[in-house]
Amino acid sequence: MAGIFIFSEDRALAAQLLTPALELKAALGEPLTVLALDAAQATELSTLGADKVLVVGDSATWIEGLGEPLAALVAHASVVLVGGTLRGKHLAADVAARLKTGMTTDAKAVRIAGGKLVATRILYAGLAVCDEELPLPAVVTIRARTFLAPTTTTAAAPIEQAVAKADARVTVESVTPTSTAGVDITAASRLIAVGRGFRAKDDLKLAEDLGKVLGAELACTRGIAEDEHWLPIERYIGISGQTVKPELYLAVGLSGQVQHMVGCRESKTIVAINNDERSPIFEAADYGIVGDLYEVLPLLTAALRK
Amino acid sequence: MPNCLVCYKWTLDEQDIKIKSEDLSLDSSRAKGKISDFDRNAIEEAALLVEKLGGAVAALSYGTAAVKQSLKDVLSRGPEKSYWVADASAEQADATVTATVLAAAIRKIGPFDLILLGEGSSDLFNQQTAPRLAALLGLPCLSFVNKLEVEGDVVKATRKLDDSVEVVTVKTPVVISVLSEINKPRIPSLKQVLSAAKKPNQELTVADLGLTPEDLAPKAVRKSVKGFVMQRKNIIFKETAAAANVAKLKESLASLGLS
Ligand SMILES: Cc1cc2nc3c(=O)[nH]c(=O)nc-3n(C[C@H](O)[C@H](O)[C@H](O)COP(=O)(O)OP(=O)(O)OC[C@H]3O[C@@H](n4cnc5c(N)ncnc54)[C@H](O)[C@@H]3O)c2cc1C
Repeated sequence: MAGIFIFSEDRALAAQLLTPALELKAALGEPLTVLALDAAQATELSTLGADKVLVVGDSATWIEGLGEPLAALVAHASVVLVGGTLRGKHLAADVAARLKTGMTTDAKAVRIAGGKLVATRILYAGLAVCDEELPLPAVVTIRARTFLAPTTTTAAAPIEQAVAKADARVTVESVTPTSTAGVDITAASRLIAVGRGFRAKDDLKLAEDLGKVLGAELACTRGIAEDEHWLPIERYIGISGQTVKPELYLAVGLSGQVQHMVGCRESKTIVAINNDERSPIFEAADYGIVGDLYEVLPLLTAALRK
Repeated sequence: MPNCLVCYKWTLDEQDIKIKSEDLSLDSSRAKGKISDFDRNAIEEAALLVEKLGGAVAALSYGTAAVKQSLKDVLSRGPEKSYWVADASAEQADATVTATVLAAAIRKIGPFDLILLGEGSSDLFNQQTAPRLAALLGLPCLSFVNKLEVEGDVVKATRKLDDSVEVVTVKTPVVISVLSEINKPRIPSLKQVLSAAKKPNQELTVADLGLTPEDLAPKAVRKSVKGFVMQRKNIIFKETAAAANVAKLKESLASLGLS
């Protein structure tokens, strides 16, 4: 049973995985199976082009512990695409190890060439891009919003049970959602990202005021969230934070280090405000103002309000 | 008293890697080596655990011949002994190869109660090594840990995930990958640096470990590595009067429908 398999416990991401999976199905001429976490996800995904849906667990399953049973289910797969959440990456690496096969982390694109899977990804935190070539079977993780979910629906694929037992050695004591109150900045079409150029938490008000006029949410660099705790963790952008692709990314008082930029460089338009003309952020910007944010932001807010 | 092992990678410092404008190839001739950032957190965490609970920490690395340059650095950060596998295969190794080599080494020098690694290396950032290593060794794996407590043979870990914080417990032996927030790696003192020179290190060859050329051949082969260059307009307003710059930016935003 060759075939293409997809899995993600994140519903939106699972649907997005179907887009590259359907391309691989066309290229390889092999059936496409969705491994759904629970019955609700199975129903939702069954009409997006898959040939079969297998329900492997339920909403209480510790995803990371499914390596052994999932590896058995995909033992004869050609390609396994897994949603690149942290849980998903852990699971995918475990499955790849059990299949004794290669894996690409956070692929931006996948294709078949010469009987191999070619996946495009970044290296050195975004400094470089490379193609990785993997023999089949290959495991690939793909992060949220790399692809859009298919828009055409098909007849519902048959849904079967294949309930898998998670690694019982690990006990989950508690799971506390982190971003219940916060907005999903990855969905925002305009973002103002703040960095260490701000001298105090209260000064972020300058960015908030501009945000109100522009209809933009606030995002930040790692230090602002992790060290200063001025903004919630889920608002920091970069290799270890969020990846966003808004229409407008307005970077204020941030230097534009590659670890940060890799999370926002696919934004449609990038604008920078920074008082250091040599700051790397200007190389990454479409438009920029060299100036003190404390002077520029109030002026810009006032100008746009008119 | 936990017997700990930390696995670390000796990588190039990406800050010193330049992109050649002619062909976008990478110029790493000026790049110095470093212990991969998150692995430094793993080393620190093991050192802190052992300072608190007793026990021992050893370090293990697989790399090219350059891995030898890391020994003094790693030993000044807490571990009492370091093991190293130097082989040219490391240059092209993928996570499959790395986990295979580390697992073979651990079978030889182990067992350990806690095996700690960074969540990913600062060059490839595959985030695969810890779960793969655990699968190969038949151990449970706790990934993305930002808080660790050990009591007897029970390990309690707080994991920071995309949208939640999860607390899990497991009995040793276990493989753990840590996040950078878990601690602030020490800057080794002069005394620690000097004592590092006296600590033992041991080479393990791939032959010692019974590894075949097949084990050392990557599955994921990196092709066409190219520097990433942003195609941006780079229109920068830098007049002395801030108001003039603001007016121009407003115009630009308006032209894009973004005002
Ligand atoms: C392994 C690793 C992973 C990392 N992951 C991330 C990540 O995911 N996300 C992330 O953001 N970072 C990450 N970092 C950190 C990253 O390398 C940078 O250190 C960080 O992004 C810089 O934050 P910053 O721009 O806020 O601060 P700085 O680099 O200090 O920049 C501040 C900028 O503000 C400007 N400025 C100062 N005063 C003013 C003023 N009055 N008006 C206008 N401009 C002013 C300065 O010119 C400067 O350019 C990571 C680092 C490592 C090593």
